[in-house]
Amino acid sequence: MDKKLFKKSNKIEKITFIFDFIAIAIYISLFLILFGMLELPEIVDGSMNLDILQFMEPTYYFLNATLDKLEMNTIISLVILFTLVSLPLLLINIKKVRTRTIYEIDSYTASSKFVQAVINLLSLNVVSAGLRIYNMFVLVKFVKGYSAKEFFKSIFPAVKAYFKKIFKKKKVEDLGDLDEYSVSIKQSIRRQNTSFIIRILFTYLFLITVAIVIIVPFYWMVLTSLKDFSGATLANPKLYISISQMNWVNYKVVLTALEFGLYIKNTVIVALFSTGGTIITTVLAAYAFARIEFKGREVLFSILIMTMMIPGELYIITNFITVSKNGFGWVGMATGENNYFIAMIIPFVTSISYIFFLRQSFKQIPESLYKAARVDGCSDFKFLTRVMVPIASPTIFTITILNVFSSWNAYIWPRIITGVGGQEGQKYWLISNALRDTAFVQDNGRVMYNLQIAASALVTVPLLVVFFLFRKYIMNGIGRSGTKG
Amino acid sequence: MADFIKNTKKFFAKVKQSIKNFFWNIRRILNNGKRRIGKFLDKHNLNFASKFPGWAKALVYLSPALIVLSIFTFWPIINSFALVVYENYNMTSNTITGYTLFGNFITVITDESFIVPASHTGSSAVINTLIIVFISVPISVLLALFISAALNSIKPLKSFFQTIFFLPYVTNTIAIGLVFAYMFKTDGGLINQLLSFVGVDTAGLSWVESGAVYWRSMFVLIFYSIWASLAFKIMVFLTSIQGIDKQYYQAAAIDATPKGRIFTKITVPLISPMIFYILVTSVIGAFKIYNSIVALFGVTGAPSGVDYNLQSIVMYIYQFIDGSNAGSLSVAAAGSLILFAIILVLTLVQMQVSKKRVHY
Repeated sequence: MDKKLFKKSNKIEKITFIFDFIAIAIYISLFLILFGMLELPEIVDGSMNLDILQFMEPTYYFLNATLDKLEMNTIISLVILFTLVSLPLLLINIKKVRTRTIYEIDSYTASSKFVQAVINLLSLNVVSAGLRIYNMFVLVKFVKGYSAKEFFKSIFPAVKAYFKKIFKKKKVEDLGDLDEYSVSIKQSIRRQNTSFIIRILFTYLFLITVAIVIIVPFYWMVLTSLKDFSGATLANPKLYISISQMNWVNYKVVLTALEFGLYIKNTVIVALFSTGGTIITTVLAAYAFARIEFKGREVLFSILIMTMMIPGELYIITNFITVSKNGFGWVGMATGENNYFIAMIIPFVTSISYIFFLRQSFKQIPESLYKAARVDGCSDFKFLTRVMVPIASPTIFTITILNVFSSWNAYIWPRIITGVGGQEGQKYWLISNALRDTAFVQDNGRVMYNLQIAASALVTVPLLVVFFLFRKYIMNGIGRSGTKG
Repeated sequence: MADFIKNTKKFFAKVKQSIKNFFWNIRRILNNGKRRIGKFLDKHNLNFASKFPGWAKALVYLSPALIVLSIFTFWPIINSFALVVYENYNMTSNTITGYTLFGNFITVITDESFIVPASHTGSSAVINTLIIVFISVPISVLLALFISAALNSIKPLKSFFQTIFFLPYVTNTIAIGLVFAYMFKTDGGLINQLLSFVGVDTAGLSWVESGAVYWRSMFVLIFYSIWASLAFKIMVFLTSIQGIDKQYYQAAAIDATPKGRIFTKITVPLISPMIFYILVTSVIGAFKIYNSIVALFGVTGAPSGVDYNLQSIVMYIYQFIDGSNAGSLSVAAAGSLILFAIILVLTLVQMQVSKKRVHY
């Protein structure tokens, strides 16, 4: 094994990584520029006439080229597709570049480089593709000792041998020589093999069916969000959409004219603060319940556990009184004196189930660690922040994600809070409220389904992105939280 | 130039040192104060910290959580028992006209459209909820069990399927509910389109719009709630199936046990505590169904222009929380206490049954 080649390959990898990053930056900025150029209907009397949206034929000028609506749609769709293709590639490579060791390299690494290069070519990133191909040859040399020329020479015989192997006729086994017992065993093995294959086939068929049922709503959502109004209300809706027909302007309408940008901002604010508060309070409380010995600890903890049984509806009634005029006065006051954000955040800055969940993982940290730290003069708080939190960080991360998801999903509490505020309260809607209560109905009674579904997609996509980024953490966390509860 | 750099470095070092000294001094003063207070308390036999060891420290750590919990969790529990006995509680003026022991409960129970089907809608919150619970929970638990067993038996593409089945968990209930409502549209909905491919006459076949029959709307609701709740169950079942000792399966394989019998005699019994736990939690969850109904049918819980509604118990409770009418909050509190009673009974049953061993 030549260490120099390995180092060379790693160097190329890093350079490729930079080019990948530049490409994605270009795609995203291109998308933002083009998305910003998309033309919306004019605002008349404070409201936008969305009916004419699909009949508009604007022309765009970009880099000395004149683009009509379809061309613009095509370019934006392609840019988004490129981003979707190359972003996962970048994320996969971040992990690999950092952790690859010399022992992990085999011929599969080289072939995966080739596949990645093809993907790069598909997203018009020629530089990265070229670098990857070069890297592939370096790796081939590293693994097999071939140079590029020898590699090409060796391809042909290998392919030939492969096809020979496939087309070689299987020798028919002669059962005549065997005695009866061997024959019956052979037959039963064959029978078992067939039944095994059939079972696997049915298992996959079952799983694929369920997967399709699960996927279809997502597909239909993305599809409809890109259709125009008449496409979304056809009696026989199309099951696919061509790249030039994708109406990215729908998203712009939803974000700006229907103010979903504002609602998303509200939700992000509420989610950030309530999650931050939850992490701080639950970590401290879980530490107290897991490590500090005090009289009545178990009693207090079991009281907390018991309250988990009580349905949230019971709390909401009184909490509504608490935050309104006769309580803290956060809502229900005159216009301008309300603190909707505080009313939406403060009741949710702690959670008993998370305290329970965290306490479990704190308890698994051995006591001897604590004692060793104490001997070295470590205070309790320092022990918590320097030892406990890093060890329990997967659990804390899971809690963070779950809490962000639940803030993203919150519906009833924000609805009650903002409902008493009338016009003013509407500015503080979270996305779920906005989705349900925004009127997607035009003056002439048309329901703008494509816009409604585009708003739904806009709400769903960030969640899916977060999910795909932290898939392992989230799925393991959910599985474990269920097992423990 | 070199001198200048040297001097600056010296200066910054000095500043750093003085800041450090400042904080150390503060710390020393605080510690002195603490010691003095401690001495004083000890002298007068008032030092609770030494009487209840750990409490002082624990309170520091617990106080942020406990303060919030006591305001927004413990107080509501006490207060809702108070609300139930109030007569005509008015939220804005904070006044009541008298006390009643069971009056609010009687209002809820005898109310049309809570238990008794209302004459003008022909359906009631409790009946709707029970239908949802008794149909959606068994189906989703069984389906999740089969799917997780199937997932466990395959190797290639396993994590791919796992990811796909997990997707419904990470979505916004309202958003996907709107998509479902759109998919079940009468004209131009995907489902009607697919049905007409199969050869069903779909003209005027409405699911969630005016003209929909009760059971058709209910079907969409149940379908959606199963779709949304499947992910969590599959994850939990899969985790517990993977935790089963492989030896059982190896022993069964040596005896050439059929797969069906392995499933019923090994897998199911060994994860039966988990199944039971999921069963109870999903029954509780189904009793509290709200968001999916709102997403599919709007805040009133009924498709427009039909004579029934699909209100659930929680929906029934929430319609009283706008604080406009006197006494409405008391009715809501009574309703939520009834819901609490149902959930309490279920939880007690769970605890009793899981005490008697559920598995072998």
